[in-house]
Amino acid sequence: MKKEENIPNFKVPESYFETFEERLFSKMAEESFPKNAGFKIPEQYFEKLDSRILKAVAASEKPKKIIPLFPRKYFGYAAAIAASLVIGFTLFNTKRNTSQLDSLQLAAIDTYIEEGNLNMDLYDLTSYIEDEDVPDIDLDAKYFSDSSLKEYLLENIDTETLINEQ
Amino acid sequence: MVEEQELVTALQTDGAKEAAFRELVAQYKERLYWQIRNMVLDHDDADDVLQNTFIKIFRNIKSFKGESKLHTWMYRIAANESITFLNKKAKRNNVSIDNVKSNAVRKLETDVYFEGDQLQLQFQKAIATLPERQRLIFTMKYFEDHTFEELSEILETSVGGLKSSYHIAVKKITEFIKTDETL
Repeated sequence: MKKEENIPNFKVPESYFETFEERLFSKMAEESFPKNAGFKIPEQYFEKLDSRILKAVAASEKPKKIIPLFPRKYFGYAAAIAASLVIGFTLFNTKRNTSQLDSLQLAAIDTYIEEGNLNMDLYDLTSYIEDEDVPDIDLDAKYFSDSSLKEYLLENIDTETLINEQ
Repeated sequence: MVEEQELVTALQTDGAKEAAFRELVAQYKERLYWQIRNMVLDHDDADDVLQNTFIKIFRNIKSFKGESKLHTWMYRIAANESITFLNKKAKRNNVSIDNVKSNAVRKLETDVYFEGDQLQLQFQKAIATLPERQRLIFTMKYFEDHTFEELSEILETSVGGLKSSYHIAVKKITEFIKTDETL
């Protein structure tokens, strides 16, 4: 059997032989898997798809019609009630706690988003942010405690991703 | 077929955007559909996710800066939309994502748009046990023949990481099928 030194000009990628069995057995196992998934599509689906997609895109671009909650004639009454409530609230509740108000608003916003009412994802959000805005984003540590960050990572990142990224 | 760079320029030009988008849909609808279908399994769900994917592409094409190839960016949006869809479905029905996946596989048994035999059904059951990202890697590589280099650009993960994730997936599927057969 020839020794490796006899072919000094050839090299193999790092860990090639160490991982050879793994790749070989994986390839052999794959051979026994079905070649296709077994899915079917309705007749003429792809032929009709273009016009459906274009319609869906056009519909999503149309400004949505806003239906008022209250007809205009009730505005006067509503304004009067709101004004008296504000005055009453100011008169009887002068020791208003602003920090409590802030946290209440944040909690309400959190719930609103968590319930899926904010129909936006990463692409929608990033479309509102320009490159030059990024350094201005205030990523103050006070927004994420170590424990909530840890909880987020444990819930959202699977172990394999972490191992693979090492 | 229009070259990708020409298509990007046209998509970002107001007067030419619509015609270019038609071309884009014609070129990519089938590839994106199968990528999504392999993740969500049900045809109607795949159809919804595909439409949302194209809506996202149309809305965000102005902010596409060409840091990756156009098709890479589109496959990435389709991948994210599929995973978002599964998460939303789990949340809406107040169940875990594993539950959503196992329900989707169970539904295949009576699905008029599934013509797979027992082995194909068992294969789908095995794939459904994989974590989301691993499942995405496996289906995109196995059924859609993407190379690891392409997948690395789409999923923004190293080739080495993808390879090991893929081999782990193959191993898990093999073990699932073996155990399932002995039951």
